[in-house]
Amino acid sequence: MESLYYQNDSLLHRLNPLSKIVATAPVILFLALTTAPWTPSVFILFFGLITVIWGRIPILRYLKTVTPLLFLITGFLIFYPFAVDPARVAGTGIAFQIGSVVVRWGGIIFGVATALRILSLIFGTLLFVLTTDSSDFIRALVQQWRLSYRIGYSAMAAYRFIPMLHSELAVIRAAHKVRGISDRGGLRAQYDRARRYAVPLLATAIRKAERTALAMDSRAFGAFETRSYFRQLTFARRDWVFIGAFLAVSLALILILAKAGLLGSLVVLQEF
Amino acid sequence: MIQIQDFHFKYIGRKAEAIAGVDLHIQQGETVLLLGPSGSGKSTLALALNGLIPHIVGGRMEGQVDIDGLDNRTATVAELSQKVGILFQDPEAQFVTMTVEDEIAFGLENLQVPPEEMDSRIQEALDQVGIGHYRRRRVDALSGGEKQRLALAAVLAMRPQTLVFDEPTANLDPLGTRQVFETIAKLKANGKFTLIIIEHKLDDLMHMIDRVIALTSEGNILVDGIPAYVFGEQTEDLLAEGVWMPQTALLAHQLRNRGLELSPFPTTLAQAEQAFGALGLAITPNGHKPLPKPDNGHPPAVEVRNLSFQYGEIPVLKNINLQVPKGDFLAIIGANGAGKTTLAQHLIETLHPPAGCVLLNGIDVTQIESRDLIRRVGYVFQNPEHQFITNFVDHEVAFGLRQMGLPEDEIDERMTRLLTQFGLEKLAKANPFTLSHGEKRRLSVATMLAVGQETLILDEPTFGQDQRNATALMELLQELHAAGRTVIIITHDMTLVAEYAHHCAVMSAGELLFHGSTEDVFTQPDLLSRARLTLPPLAELSGRLAARQPEWAGMQTVDHFATALAREMLWEEVT
Repeated sequence: MESLYYQNDSLLHRLNPLSKIVATAPVILFLALTTAPWTPSVFILFFGLITVIWGRIPILRYLKTVTPLLFLITGFLIFYPFAVDPARVAGTGIAFQIGSVVVRWGGIIFGVATALRILSLIFGTLLFVLTTDSSDFIRALVQQWRLSYRIGYSAMAAYRFIPMLHSELAVIRAAHKVRGISDRGGLRAQYDRARRYAVPLLATAIRKAERTALAMDSRAFGAFETRSYFRQLTFARRDWVFIGAFLAVSLALILILAKAGLLGSLVVLQEF
Repeated sequence: MIQIQDFHFKYIGRKAEAIAGVDLHIQQGETVLLLGPSGSGKSTLALALNGLIPHIVGGRMEGQVDIDGLDNRTATVAELSQKVGILFQDPEAQFVTMTVEDEIAFGLENLQVPPEEMDSRIQEALDQVGIGHYRRRRVDALSGGEKQRLALAAVLAMRPQTLVFDEPTANLDPLGTRQVFETIAKLKANGKFTLIIIEHKLDDLMHMIDRVIALTSEGNILVDGIPAYVFGEQTEDLLAEGVWMPQTALLAHQLRNRGLELSPFPTTLAQAEQAFGALGLAITPNGHKPLPKPDNGHPPAVEVRNLSFQYGEIPVLKNINLQVPKGDFLAIIGANGAGKTTLAQHLIETLHPPAGCVLLNGIDVTQIESRDLIRRVGYVFQNPEHQFITNFVDHEVAFGLRQMGLPEDEIDERMTRLLTQFGLEKLAKANPFTLSHGEKRRLSVATMLAVGQETLILDEPTFGQDQRNATALMELLQELHAAGRTVIIITHDMTLVAEYAHHCAVMSAGELLFHGSTEDVFTQPDLLSRARLTLPPLAELSGRLAARQPEWAGMQTVDHFATALAREMLWEEVT
C-alpha cells in the first residue's frame, strides 16, 4: 500500500491535521445525508479547488489519484438504475427497455446522485489525506487530543510495517510456488493456501515487531509518563480561521442550494 | 566501565540458560570483538548492558551487571540508555518515524530533552556518522548502509559512552558494510567510546579491535584476550565451537599446520602483509586454475536471451544475456537493487519472462508445466521459513516426493536418507518453525533436494549462519556440484564467492556488467567499484603483496595462498 500523501509546505499542509478534520467532518457527514445530485456536485468542486489551490497539489497528480475512483463510480452509475427498488421510481418516465427490464429516469437520477454523493465524500477525505503526513496526524492526536503517546508512537512504528508485509507476502507466494503449490484451484484450495501463507507471514511480522520494540525500548521509549516534542504542533490562529471560514463557506453554499430549491431532501428526513 | 559478575540469564519458556555464568570487565575506551556460534548469548549480553534485560525482556537474571557503577537491576532503562546504545542487525526494523531528523528526535523526546536543545543534538549525531546532509530526507529513501548509520546516529544522540553493534552489517551489501565499518572506525578514532562489536565479517574490522571475547554455545566464555592470542593460540577451540575467524588468521593457522610460522601471528591485513614481506619468500604464481570444461554435449543449464523487466516504470533488468553451462557453480553478485533476485526469479517463473527469453536445458521455460519446472530447478529462498508448508519436518521433506507421485515405500526411503544426510533425523516429528536457524536452513535445502533437481539456485545460502553451519552447507553444495548438478548462488559474501564459485555474473543497476571466471572478477578493481562490490580480504592481501612483488597477484582464498606457499617451501626443502 502506498500512502497518498503529497509532500510540500502549502497552507493546508501547515495546518494542524486536527483542524482539517474539525472543518471537513461536519460537511462530509452532511453530504452523506443528501440525495439530490446538485449538492455533492457543488462540494466536489469546492473540495477539489481548495485541495488543488491551497494544498498546492499538482492537478495531474490529483487527477491520477481520483481516476481509479471514477471508474468505480462509473460502474456504479451503470448498474444502479437496474438495481434500484422499482417502487421508488415507479412514477417516473421510462428511459429505455431491454426485454422485460425497464429502466426509468428516476432510477438513473438516483444512480447519478448516489455516485456523486460517494464521490463528494471521497473528495472531502482527499483534502485531508493528500495534505496530511500520517506521523503529523498521530503527533496531533497525541499532543492536542491527549492520545497516549505509547499507543500513538507504536501505531506510527506499525504503519512502517505495511509495505514490508506486502513485499514479504509476495516472497512467500513465490516460495510456495517453487515448492509446487499451484496458485489455481477452488475455494478450498484458496483457503488452504491463505492458511499456509499466514504462518510464515505471522512469524516474520512477530519477529520484526519484537525487533522494533527492542530498538524502541533501548532508546528509552515509555521510560517516562510524558515526553518532550521536537515538533510541537499547535492550534494556531490560522487553524481557527481555516475552520471558521471553511464551515462558513460550506454553510453558505448549502443555503444557496436550498434557496434555489436544489438541495433536495435529506436521508434522515426521508426515513422518519 | 563495564563490570559483569557471574551473570546468568534464562529466557521465559527455555530450558537452557542463554548466558550461563559470565565474568567480564571492560575498560572505558576498549574496543571489543564479541564472537560465538548461533545461540551463544551474544545478543543477550548486549541487552543486559542497556538494561532491557532484566527490565523489559522476560526471563530470570542472576549475578551482577554494572555499567559505570550503575546496577542494571536498580538503574532505569532511561538512565542506562544514556550509558549504552545498541545498533541492531535489521535496518528495516529499527525505525519509528518517517524522516531522518524525526527518527533522531524520537530518543531525545523519550528522555524529555527540551526541544530547543534537540536541534543541535540532532545535527551533531548526524555529523558523527557522516550523513548530516540527509537531515530532511525520508527514511525509506535511504540505502541499507545509510539506514544503519541513521540508526547509529539515533543512538549517538542519546550520548552513550558505550556502543554495542549487534551484527550491524548482516543485511547489507558490501558497500553498505564498508560504510558502517568506516563509521565505526571514526568513532574509534574519537577515543571517547567503549565499542563492543558482534560481527562475522572480520577482516575489515580487525585493525580496530583491542580485545576478542568468544562465547561457547552454552553461554560461557570460551576465550578472552588480545586478537593474536585468541586467533593464534586458541584456534582449534574457536573452530570447534563454530566461531568465525578472520581470513588472515585462518590462513596463518593453515600455514602453521604445514610448518610455516608467520610472526607475529597476523590478524589484520596489514599485519599479514608485513609478515609475508618479512618471510622474503619468492613465490611462483599459481597460474589460472583450469576450470572444468562446460560439457558441450549438453545445452546450457540456463540460458537467458535479451531479458528485460520493468517494475512499474522502473527498469530492473536491462537486456540480460547469460549462459550457464550444465555443471557450473555460478555466483550472481552485485549491490542491493542490482537485479540479482529478479533475474533468478525469472528462472523459476515466479516472474514470467516473455517466450524465448529464458531456456532451461534448451527448453523455453514458458513451455514447461509448472509441475515439471519444480523438478528441474530448485530454489532456496533467503529466509527458510518462507518455504515451509507443513507442520512436521518429515512431511516437509516428503511433500515434494508425494507430488512426484512416487510409491509410499520409496518416499519413505528417500525421506529417511535425506533426513540423515542433513542431520535432521532426530527432529523428524518437530514443527519446522521450532528448529534452530541452522536446522531450518538445512531443512529448506533438504526439501529442495528431495526432488533431485539438476539445477539449484540459492539466495544468500549462508545468511545468519555460524561458521560451522555455513561451512557444512557449502561443502554439501560442493558435493552436489561434484555430482554434476548446476549450482547458482546469489550472495553478498565475497569470501564465499572466491572460495566456491567457478564463475561470476556481476550485475549493477539491472545490467549484466561481466560474466566470467571468479578469478577474473577479483582482478578487475574497476569492475568491482562500478558494481559497488569489494574484494574478498585475501584478494586484497594478494593485491597489496603484488604491489611489491608481482608473483603474489591473483590469489583469493586460503587455499590459493597455502598451495602457492607449500609449493615454495617444498622447493626450498629440495634445494
